[in-house]
Amino acid sequence: MVRTLECPNCGGTVELKYERTINAVCIQCLSVLDATNPSLQILQKFEGAKRYQPKIPLGTRGKLQGGQYEAIGFQIRQIEVDGVTYEWSEYLLHNPYKGYRYLTEYNGHWNDIRTLRALPVASSKGSKPSVIYGGKTYTHFQSASAVTAFVMGEFPWQVRVGDSVDIKDYVAAPESISSEETEGEVVWSIGRYTNGAEIWKAFGLKDSPPAAIGIYSNQPSPYTGRIASSWMTFTLLSLLLLLTVIGVAIVSPRDQAFRQTYTFSTGNTEPSFVTPVFALKGAQASLQVQLKTDLSNDWAYFGLALINDDTGTAYDFGKQVSFYAGSDSDGAWTEGNRSGSVSIPAVPAGRYYLRVEPEMEKDGRPRRMRYELTLQHGAPSYFWFVLGFLGLLIPPVVTSIRAFSFENRRWAESDYGALVQSSSGEDD
Amino acid sequence: MFRHPLFGLYGLLLIGASSVASYRGFSFTDVNTVQGVPKSVRDNPGVYRAIYSSYHRYSGGK
Repeated sequence: MVRTLECPNCGGTVELKYERTINAVCIQCLSVLDATNPSLQILQKFEGAKRYQPKIPLGTRGKLQGGQYEAIGFQIRQIEVDGVTYEWSEYLLHNPYKGYRYLTEYNGHWNDIRTLRALPVASSKGSKPSVIYGGKTYTHFQSASAVTAFVMGEFPWQVRVGDSVDIKDYVAAPESISSEETEGEVVWSIGRYTNGAEIWKAFGLKDSPPAAIGIYSNQPSPYTGRIASSWMTFTLLSLLLLLTVIGVAIVSPRDQAFRQTYTFSTGNTEPSFVTPVFALKGAQASLQVQLKTDLSNDWAYFGLALINDDTGTAYDFGKQVSFYAGSDSDGAWTEGNRSGSVSIPAVPAGRYYLRVEPEMEKDGRPRRMRYELTLQHGAPSYFWFVLGFLGLLIPPVVTSIRAFSFENRRWAESDYGALVQSSSGEDD
Repeated sequence: MFRHPLFGLYGLLLIGASSVASYRGFSFTDVNTVQGVPKSVRDNPGVYRAIYSSYHRYSGGK
């Protein structure tokens, strides 16, 4: 039953809808009135400089968690951190059968809150305190002293502008548990992060909810579950890549197109020569030129040209091979390799010959080298699979970095600071 | 893969491209090619002027 009374301060009409209302606030002059007193005794006159307008007008009804709730009270609460004042809105909702619940809003982030029926158990998670409730661990996020800056509507408890409570927030997104302590009394509540669009829909509000700014303490990460699944996808694709490597290794032709052993001696004779013509068959593929020498403490350079006998197209390349060995105070040592290989990419089929021009040190001393020349057409290049593997790493690594960045930004607002401090020293 | 269809598609394309590139012997680096090498090179290999003929040889060792 609605009681209509007159505000003793401004003479405005004060409607009391609920029997359990203890304090009511005149919507005209914002005086806090004692609703238990028939003459509405003034408990506090409004002296604030700013008059706030609730985004959910008082008296609006909406359906939340299966119940019809009416917004009956509104307050603004503030905390001060490092000299900066942060404020959020709290809406008191009432359902005659289900009781009270609350909605809070900060920078477009909403929480649907109800008081706890059982006490959480104090615990710790790493270096941070935590509480356990319903088998779930909530990590301490922030402690602060919250001050009521503005009140409006009806409240089933004593409420004044300037009221102060010590708040501790514990988070396990998308939920959070808060304790509010005043003079020995502790009230625990649990909140669930809710989208503004859901609130707007529930209360049938016009326009659209304010856009959420930043990341809220219990805002669910969009990456939850995606890290593990993206790494799982990566594992499956990597296994597929491995099978493909094995498959390519099996089906690659690796045709030995040419193999011959030669001897080279320094002197006045023309060093260059050409091999007999050989055929490269099958599809376009790489040609691997392998050189095995008997060099010892010497080097040799091979000027090579693979020439198509029909078209006159030449692939011009070279390879140096050197091998040194000895011993000193550190023991035996070796440097270089007697063998070497060059891979010529994408060589089409055809009739080819190889022009070879060996070269060794020209210091007047006679030098002699025996070497074997082997040409293999169609040997796979495993470099591409390494590149493919690195490419497969990109999505899960990016997802992991984004997820970490999200959590870093979340915890940057906590008492503990960001998980990783920014090197630029910026403090936002 | 089913939770990440785009990643799955990207991965399959990557594996396919890697396989083709590996099998066909593609490379980022290109070997210098010379067109129109005369047949006479086979009879007189010394006339061929290799691009790398001025390459400086390493003559190191410890």
